[in-house]
Amino acid sequence: MLSYIIRRLAEMVPLLVGISILVFLLVHLSPGDPVRMLLGEDATEEDVANLNRIYGFDRPLHEQYFRWAKNMLRGDFGTSIRQGVPVSQLVFQRIPATLELAFVSVLIAVILGIPLGIFAAVKRGTIWDYISMIAALIGVSMPSFWLGLLLLSRIALHVDFLPMFGRDGSVFGGLWILLTKWDGSVLLDGVRHIILPALSIGISMMAIIARLTRSSLLEILGNDYIRTAHAKGLARYVVIFKHALRNALLPIITIVGIQFGAMLGGAIVTETVFAWPGLGRLIINAISQRDFPIIQGGVLMMAVIFTTVNLLVDISYALVNPRIRYD
Amino acid sequence: MQKRKLKRKFMFVLLVLVLVISVSGLAAADNDTLIIGSGAEAIGLDPRLETDVPSFERINVIMEPLVKFDVDMNLMPLLASDWEFSDNSLTLTFHLQKGVTWHDGTPFTAHDVKYTYEWVLNPDNGASNRGLYQDISEIEVVNDHEVKFHLAKPYSFLLNNIARMPITPKHDGDRSDFRQNPIGTGPYKLVSWTRDDRMILEANENYWGSKPIIPNLIFRTIPEDATRLLALEAGEIDIYQGGVVPQELPRLEQDSRFVVQRAAGTGYNYLGFNTRVGALGDVLVRQAVSHLINREGIVTRVLNGIGTPGIGPIPTGLPWFNPNVPHYEYSVEKAKELLAEAGYPDGGFKLRLYTNENPTRMRIAEILQHEAQQVGITVEVIIEEWGAYLTRIQETDDYDIFILGWSGQLDPDRAMIRQFHTDGSNNYTGYSNERLDYLLDYGRTVPPDSQESLDIYNEAQEIVVRDVPYGFINFSEEVGIHHPYIKNWSVHPYSAAAWQDAHRMVKDK
Repeated sequence: MLSYIIRRLAEMVPLLVGISILVFLLVHLSPGDPVRMLLGEDATEEDVANLNRIYGFDRPLHEQYFRWAKNMLRGDFGTSIRQGVPVSQLVFQRIPATLELAFVSVLIAVILGIPLGIFAAVKRGTIWDYISMIAALIGVSMPSFWLGLLLLSRIALHVDFLPMFGRDGSVFGGLWILLTKWDGSVLLDGVRHIILPALSIGISMMAIIARLTRSSLLEILGNDYIRTAHAKGLARYVVIFKHALRNALLPIITIVGIQFGAMLGGAIVTETVFAWPGLGRLIINAISQRDFPIIQGGVLMMAVIFTTVNLLVDISYALVNPRIRYD
Repeated sequence: MQKRKLKRKFMFVLLVLVLVISVSGLAAADNDTLIIGSGAEAIGLDPRLETDVPSFERINVIMEPLVKFDVDMNLMPLLASDWEFSDNSLTLTFHLQKGVTWHDGTPFTAHDVKYTYEWVLNPDNGASNRGLYQDISEIEVVNDHEVKFHLAKPYSFLLNNIARMPITPKHDGDRSDFRQNPIGTGPYKLVSWTRDDRMILEANENYWGSKPIIPNLIFRTIPEDATRLLALEAGEIDIYQGGVVPQELPRLEQDSRFVVQRAAGTGYNYLGFNTRVGALGDVLVRQAVSHLINREGIVTRVLNGIGTPGIGPIPTGLPWFNPNVPHYEYSVEKAKELLAEAGYPDGGFKLRLYTNENPTRMRIAEILQHEAQQVGITVEVIIEEWGAYLTRIQETDDYDIFILGWSGQLDPDRAMIRQFHTDGSNNYTGYSNERLDYLLDYGRTVPPDSQESLDIYNEAQEIVVRDVPYGFINFSEEVGIHHPYIKNWSVHPYSAAAWQDAHRMVKDK
């Protein structure tokens, strides 16, 4: 197991190098001059050339890349062209918000999606099955920004407990404060603010998980050993939860992992609708301003998180299904 | 087993209790805190480096320029109590307010003024707006409260540019994190700033002018227009200017729970014609296309009534605005006649129309495409990402028509010389007219409040409108919205100055 993890970590290195080259090239080869956008409409040619020299954009591309990569290895993400702030500060400030939203959304999706899938599978062919799957279909078809605005205008406007926008407090940090200092206010603020954005993402993800749970479970339920378990006279819920569900979980874990990763970049729209100060918004703004260091540093950090989550998912297979061995 | 279950139940009940107790602590912001919504985050807070409106919205409550624009676009004293031009227009003398201190207690003097402008004028510092001040040749400190700007050549509208540059402190302006955590002379002091989330400010108790009435000021960044409006409706923010959802305006104006304020803005949208190549090189063709712009229809249908039909390059609120220029009313017949006169009786040519991913501009492009079809012109609409689009317009002439807008056109010089002078820094269309060049050069040397100045720019507008380097689509309009319990605030035509008088505002909930 340990050697497997080490090997996987080693494999991440060339992957990240590849991503860094790709991001760098995409950013530098796409049209749009950061210096012109920075200097605004009154810039003279002299000012443009001067600033290009200051930022090193007049150097050959490979030279710029190696300088950036060298600094990255030392933990120096560079400085934002537009804002003059270290990129690491901007990126790390937003990672908690992004991870928290991703985690809570996935949690909502799992808590709602798996039971719904099981319910539909057990009631297969009945009206309940159809209702559940139609609900899932609606969930997966609703664009999250539309659902978000709907939640805001139909629910948050009438419920004082639910704020319209922004992030206050914290869920993880708040939980820690609650357990150590018996103060629930930070957690409460965190929960109030995260419910709607997490729901708007979680519902469409829930739908995917519910459909997958249903089909995966149905496949398992058709196996001989399930029939044997029933024949042994085991209670129905024991058969479903202990014998069938555990085996049906593997593909579900895979999809949860992928969804979690997609959340990192894909929550941009939701982050905008709810004014959630996450990584996606930072990167999108940086793209429109051609703030190269932020785009490069931000995307690379996302890649690191994504590959790490993937690794965790692969490791978790063994916990669910002990027959899986890593070597 | 049983015991563990009990313990868990107990923990759960406790958790719920703690949560419920903390709910009672929730309260909306009181009269001591003004919460302003904003559509975008500030890039930074150093007036020497920023170019965007959201940055200046915030900078203008922390720092102050020598002079400012009031809501009627008149220049008013701020850090300068008085000023005068010398007879040859080559020296501008400012008498500074006395008793002004920086937020850290250091007195404000003429040396701060000299420091700020010299910093901006030094090319090594990369100041974004250096071009606005490059006619200043020397800044002379007469004494702590008097400073002279010596000009290389007369520039009558320099004051308007000076109104855009808040003064920064000499003793603190080179601090490495000044841009994130500045001090100023303004009515509010920065307390903390979390990007993309909120900026918290508190009243400057030692403010030299009228003392701030509301002790705390918070800017909240809410990028989505619909969410920002909902946040206002829910009472989570008190006020904002800009980006009010147009479709909602009729409802909001009827609703007594809100106050909507509107004012003519300082910008406009236009079609830029590439006058160097193809059919558009012919002024008759450009006039024909201008007749195809259904300005009334665009304002009512696309802009939902926000704005007014475009006429010329100078905003309607400025004294130089000339309403008596030729108007290109929407008329397919007129367009056909002009095209026939130009030798294209059945159209029969193709134009590439570029725009960025702005929904309003994309709709305008589609409308024009449809109108052009009626006279036999094929318009191909090409939509590009903003950065790429701007590069195309600014650095190539590989297009026929583009849609862009100008904002912050505070005087006729700024509204015309860069865009239409043969050597103008933003003359993207390649337009050139000798008489116009002369007028625009001469206009900068004439006192702005003189009849001569009005005459010069009247003629200049006539030339531009007749030659049609731009097809003017619409003038902008500023819209602000707030709850009725907010008083002493007026929407500002120049949105960067929207909150400069926040210290006079009252919140009486």
